[in-house]
Amino acid sequence: MSRLKDLQKNLFGGTTSNARQFGMIFTLVAIVVLFQILTDGLTLRSDNLIALFQQNSYILILAIGMLMVIVAGHIDLSVGSVAAFAGILVAKSMADWSLPWPVAILFGLAIGAIIGAWQGFWVAYIGVPAFIVTLAGMLLFRGGNQYIGNANTIPVPEGFREIGSGFLPEFGPNTGYNNATLLLGLAAAVAVVWREIQARKTRRAMDADPAPMWISILRMAIMVGVIAFAALRFASGRVGTSFPISGIILLVLVIAYSFYTRNTAGGRHIYAVGGNSRAAELSGVKLKRVNFFVMMNMSVLAALAGMIFVARSAASGPQDGNGWELDAIAAVFIGGAAVSGGIGTISGSIVGGLVMAVLNNGLQLMGVGTDRVQIIKGLVLLLAVAIDVYNKSQGRFSIIGSLMRPFRREDSAPPASPPDAEREPAKAAVSG
Amino acid sequence: MRKFFGTSVVAISAAAMLALAGCGSGRDGDSGSGGEAAKGFPANSLIGVALPAKTSENWVLAGDLFTNGLKEAGFQADVQYAGASTTVADQQAQITAMTTKGAKVIVIGATDAAQLSTQVAAAHAAGVKVIAYDRLITNTPDLDYYVAFDNFKVGQLQGQALLDGMKAKKPNGPYNIELFSGSPDDNNAGVFFNGAMSVLKPEIDKGNVVVASKQTDVKQTAIQGWKAEGAQARMDQLLTSTYGNKELDGVLSPNDTLARAILTSVKGAGKPTPVVTGQDSEVESVKSIVAGEQYMTINKDTRNLVKETINMVKALQAGNTPQVNDTKSYNNGSKVVDTYLLPPVAVTKANAAEAYANDPKLAPLTK
Repeated sequence: MSRLKDLQKNLFGGTTSNARQFGMIFTLVAIVVLFQILTDGLTLRSDNLIALFQQNSYILILAIGMLMVIVAGHIDLSVGSVAAFAGILVAKSMADWSLPWPVAILFGLAIGAIIGAWQGFWVAYIGVPAFIVTLAGMLLFRGGNQYIGNANTIPVPEGFREIGSGFLPEFGPNTGYNNATLLLGLAAAVAVVWREIQARKTRRAMDADPAPMWISILRMAIMVGVIAFAALRFASGRVGTSFPISGIILLVLVIAYSFYTRNTAGGRHIYAVGGNSRAAELSGVKLKRVNFFVMMNMSVLAALAGMIFVARSAASGPQDGNGWELDAIAAVFIGGAAVSGGIGTISGSIVGGLVMAVLNNGLQLMGVGTDRVQIIKGLVLLLAVAIDVYNKSQGRFSIIGSLMRPFRREDSAPPASPPDAEREPAKAAVSG
Repeated sequence: MRKFFGTSVVAISAAAMLALAGCGSGRDGDSGSGGEAAKGFPANSLIGVALPAKTSENWVLAGDLFTNGLKEAGFQADVQYAGASTTVADQQAQITAMTTKGAKVIVIGATDAAQLSTQVAAAHAAGVKVIAYDRLITNTPDLDYYVAFDNFKVGQLQGQALLDGMKAKKPNGPYNIELFSGSPDDNNAGVFFNGAMSVLKPEIDKGNVVVASKQTDVKQTAIQGWKAEGAQARMDQLLTSTYGNKELDGVLSPNDTLARAILTSVKGAGKPTPVVTGQDSEVESVKSIVAGEQYMTINKDTRNLVKETINMVKALQAGNTPQVNDTKSYNNGSKVVDTYLLPPVAVTKANAAEAYANDPKLAPLTK
């Protein structure tokens, strides 16, 4: 096998995938580079990167939950209203009942869980379509927000603001960088290297061919390079700023939910239900429980997103959450999820969300007005999904299809491309 | 295996070094930290202007005036409006982007007065001067100046005009009125309402003026987001619930958009036109006043307000302290903000031609 082919096949994601499946990542990188040039280097400047994460962490957190809802074949239109409702209750609880802020956060998550149980009950146990239940929820909780808040803006205390506008602390010797962020980057780099070594060990133990050595090294070098670059950028912001707390919350959630959806039975059940709910039920998946869980989980994450936004805004206001559901849904679909359910990944959705975020940020830095930004974002959403759908119908490379590849059982023989191409349409028929 | 580690270490450290080199040298240190306006800044600096969504003509006009005025003064202007649905988040992102781009002054027409403190603090920390335009930004010690029309005075003028208008139509009371106020997240809405009530309350207490629906609390009268459809819906409901067999003599409306919505509702119900107040001198309302429908509006000439704001920017550029005329009344919850107040003018059919003589767009309408 030629080295080039090796590279193409193995660079990202083990031996069963190839570089094409990272089409979205390349799109993201292309957009970042484009704006980096167009804005004269403002896009990747540390203060802008920090702001980008702070501004979008709540949408990305919503996208995690939304991905699972959409994979299960549902939709949630109520997330913005739920976020606003939880936000105002948490702000009120601190202002009126003087709850300490850590308790208030737990209180907010509990509200999310209760709302989620309410919506999950109607979807899973009564069988009302999620579109209707959450449309009702959108009205219900928006009204609740206005009723409780009297459409006022209620400020929140300093401590609480940390989850939205706080940063990793400054400590240790003066290195010219934020030490906490550097340590975080170091930990991430070590994790990447460790994972690679473990993967090679596992493959060798299973008598499978590990990827060629030089590819492993190249892959690690790229990942570590990206991590080092990001860590240094985040660590070199103005003194007092560094990697945002909301970014940490996001990272933890992404890792936890990626693991859950990819490597646990519960997570795989969500895909099974979304792909073919009858078949899943007949194979012993507890359909109602899965549906209940995804709806409930979504509302808990919505409540968290609402609190982060309130914390960042330093106050809960009547306009909170307006239009968030659309941003989250757009992120999930740009990230390669299928409208019919059963297909999509957490990391894809995060990348999709970041594409939108970078687009938004870059256009703003160029001074393009929100009217035109909305037009551009609308077209990007349509194009991203249209290209994918078209490619799929032509039996050619599809991001949606290829993002699913890691989930297929690995064949013992190294897979060649022809069977892949044949299997793609069959898959579409099942999930469609 | 040893070779693997050896090469890995080399490759990875190379990558890390590359990233390090790409990043340049550490952090910029304690930049700006909002020091004194001691020396001003270059005359061609970037000036950011963040305005709310384009829900009224006023903001569109202000945006155009800022773009042109700042350019004429030699600055680079970055004028941004919030989007229609995600207003607060848009504005937060825009202010942050302006700070990133190195704006020296950011002028903010706040969409929600209390939800910008994080961004204002970041701008201040980067050495940017922040001017609140028309709407006071609350709960932040980092706001530098506030430019606005005297909004309490606006309310007083509205209240007085309402009384005068009703008296002119019907010499003796009691008069039935209804009260409307602006968006509760707009700090000004309450100020207008309190100004108007300072004139109306004594008459209400005397029984000379009656709020027939009994909805006098600012929370009942508020129209979220200054939305016309909200005002129209509320007026529809008031007419159905309260004015089946009663005469509606007057309506206190905080601005022109709502005034026209209220008039549309009254017309739709087939009732005689009440005395309706307004504010902002929007084109449609000036036409309506000349046609004898809407009773009054307030002329807060956006030109003057923008001009005054640009004067402040110029003063800051030269390293001077901008002129202010009120250092006591505007407490935003964290500090008393230095303010420049402009006087508003009440306009009815009687003085419309005179009031708009200098306005190229409105003057022809009054002839």
